[in-house]
Formats: sequence, structure tokens, C-alpha cells
Amino acid sequence: MTSRIRRRWLDVVAVVAIVAALVFALASPRVADQGDAARMLFIHVPTIWLAYVSFGVTFVASIAYLITRKLRWDLIAGASAEIGVVFTTVAIIGGMIWGKATWNVYWTWDARLTLTAVMLLVYLGYLALRRAIADPEARARRSAVLGILGLVQLIPVHFSVTWWRTLHQTNTFRPRDIQMDGPILAALLISVAAFTIVYAALLRHRYALAHLELEAHEASVAVEGPVAGDAVSAPTIGSGG
Amino acid sequence: MHDRFWQQALAIARRDLDRERRSGEVAWVTIPFGASALLLVPLAVGINQDVLGRIGTGMLFVVVMLFGVLTAVRRTNLETPAQRDAITLLGVDPVAEFAGKTIASSVLLLLFEVVMGVVALTLYGLDLSNWGWMGVVMPLTAVGLAELGTISAAIAISIDAGPALVPLLVTPLAIPLLLGATQTVELGPDGGNLSWLLLMTAVVLVLAIVGVVTARPLQEIR
Repeated sequence: MTSRIRRRWLDVVAVVAIVAALVFALASPRVADQGDAARMLFIHVPTIWLAYVSFGVTFVASIAYLITRKLRWDLIAGASAEIGVVFTTVAIIGGMIWGKATWNVYWTWDARLTLTAVMLLVYLGYLALRRAIADPEARARRSAVLGILGLVQLIPVHFSVTWWRTLHQTNTFRPRDIQMDGPILAALLISVAAFTIVYAALLRHRYALAHLELEAHEASVAVEGPVAGDAVSAPTIGSGG
Repeated sequence: MHDRFWQQALAIARRDLDRERRSGEVAWVTIPFGASALLLVPLAVGINQDVLGRIGTGMLFVVVMLFGVLTAVRRTNLETPAQRDAITLLGVDPVAEFAGKTIASSVLLLLFEVVMGVVALTLYGLDLSNWGWMGVVMPLTAVGLAELGTISAAIAISIDAGPALVPLLVTPLAIPLLLGATQTVELGPDGGNLSWLLLMTAVVLVLAIVGVVTARPLQEIR
């Protein structure tokens, strides 16, 4: 029982953190011009933040794999990219719902929106590549290169709101220029922290699962199955006398 | 050592260009296909000259991106497994191999871009005021796409789903090049196009670094 709790402590913390974030998000004051729609902030900002974190972890783990050639780095890179794809999808869908409430459209050809969708495609390609290769070593090397290449896309995504100045607001976190009321900022920071803990818990589980998949693959390769022609025996010569 | 590197790189580039000279794949297949794509656009969006003039530069680079990168990918895929093994066993520096393939693809892509530029000018009646910038933008786009195509082809080599996978890997990653190229030419110096040129240069440099750093592991997997 104790070991089970020890194994599950991060899950418990994640659930508690999400509940706390939800309470703070619902208790935060309404924004005058946007009403309750502004509460999407507490999902949208943490999910896009975690998309960056996930793909950043994929980038670092890919480099670590190429340097050390240890498969555990590849498993971390793949697990993080999968979670990143989920968070990016949630960020886009959340942003679209928020966009409908504030801009009156679900989608607009805004630079940040478009490049975030492109970033999602890059990592869907990364996951497709991983699925296309069965051998763990070959998969790790190829994926590591793409995991590093993916960073090329992250830079324009992040700076798009500064470079283009289109419909999307500029970056929410600007330490020298915070234009947010204290309670809303506090709720947002709690939400970001809670989602980050959820990311850590998901990464831990996905990594463990990937490790099991790797062990299953190695076991299946190690088992010596029947070979074609096994049933054919050599004819006996001269037994009839 | 330095001479040996360039000797190997240029030998590989020469081999790829010789192969193109013999097969004429870019000249007789990719260029006509790209030109027909540029011809199809007015049929799809209408033949209003103002509209065509506005979208022309963007369409030119979309066609260059979609068709051009296939050229770069094709260079790598033309090698047979035996040829790849021979290159590895001969001790060819993986970085020199990457550089050689990129040089050959860049030359072919530049040729493709120039011809597509002439076709776009003829069909769309583009405003030529900022076209001097093409002298910088076209080589940068060619080198960037060549690097991206060479790396992506090496990643997807010998995978059954490779031919279907490569466009998915390349197209999103080529977006910064497409944006940079279009904006540099459309905005001109008065519209602040230097930052776009800087973005393109940065992407080309990052791709070169990735290509150099990952050349050895990519040579190992094939």
C-alpha cells in the first residue's frame, strides 16, 4: 500500500493542483469587456506554455540521445512530443473557442494561430516517423534529428506576435510590463504551475509505458520462433535394404 | 584535411549534377510540372490581373517550396543501398556528403526558381520594383530547401512509408523560408524587409548546423 502511494504521489499532487487551479480560476474576478470567456486564459496560456516545454524537452532529449546513445533519452523525447501534441491541440481548440467569443470567428489567418497549427504538423510528422520504424535504435537516431530540427519552427511561433502584430495579443508573460490584476495573475500562475505538474505526471507515465513497449519489443526479438522449413526432415537413405 | 573535405563534397555534388544531366529529371519533369501548377492557379482563383499581381510572388514561392523540395529529396533517394554502402566504406566524411548533396540540390533548385520566376512574371504580370531582392532571396531559398530536403530524405531513407512521410516532414519546416522569401520581395527596404532576410539567413544557418551535427548519425542508420 505504501509503495503504491509512493508510486502515485505525483498523480495525487497533479489532481490536487488541478482542483486548486480550477477553484482559483472560477473565483477570479470577471473581466469587464470579455465576461466569463476570459477564463479561457487559465487553460489557453498553460497549454501553449506546456507545448513549448514539451517540444523543448524533446529537443534537449534528442541532443542527449545523440551524445550518449542511451535509448532512455529517445523514450523521453517521444513521450514528451506526444504530450506536446495533445497540449498544442487543446491550446488551439481553446484558442478557437475564446476567439469566437472575442473576435466572433473560430479561425482567422493570424500569424500566431497559423504558425501554431504548423508547429502541430511538425510534431505530428515526428510522431508519424516514430510509428513508421519498428527498430528502436533506428527510430531513435532518425527521430533525434527531427526532434532537433523541430526547434526551427518554435522560434517563429513564439515571436510571431511581435513580428507581425496581428489580431492575437502579444505574449502574456512580459515581466517588465505586467498588465493584469493581481488576483487574475495569481490564478493564472497557479494554473500554469498545476498544468506543469500534470505534464510531469503524464511524462512519467508515458515514459514508463514506452519502456514497457521497448522491453516487449526486445523480448519478441529475443524469442526464437519456428523457422520456415523446420518441419522438413532429411530423407533416410538405404533403409529399405 | 580541409582540401580533402571539399574534394569529397565537390565529387558528390558533381556526381549528382552529372546524374541530373543524364536523366534531365529537373529540366524535363519538375520544371514543366511546376509551370503547370503556376498555370493552374489563375484558373482556380480567377484571371483578375490585380489579384494575380498581389498573390503572384507568394504563389511562386509556394510552388518552389512544394516542388523544389522534392528535387532535393530525390537526389538522396536515387542512391541504391549498395552505393550508400560504398560511400560509407570508402570513408567519405558524412559532413562532406551532406555538403555535396546540398550543393548539387542548391544548384538545381536555383535553376528551378529562376525558370519559375520567369513563368510567374509572364503569367501574373508582377510588379518588378522589388525584384532586385530576388538576387538574394532565391539563392537563400535554394540553399535552405536543399539543406532541409537532404536532411529529411536521410531521415526517411529505407522506410516503407518514406515517400509519403517526407512531404509531411519538410513542408511545415519550410514555412519560415516561404514567409521570409515572399515578405522580403513584397515589402522591399521601405517596408522593413531586412528583418525577413535576417530570418531566412538564420534559418539557413540553423539548418546547416543541424545538417553538420547530425550527418554522422544519419550516415549510420542507412
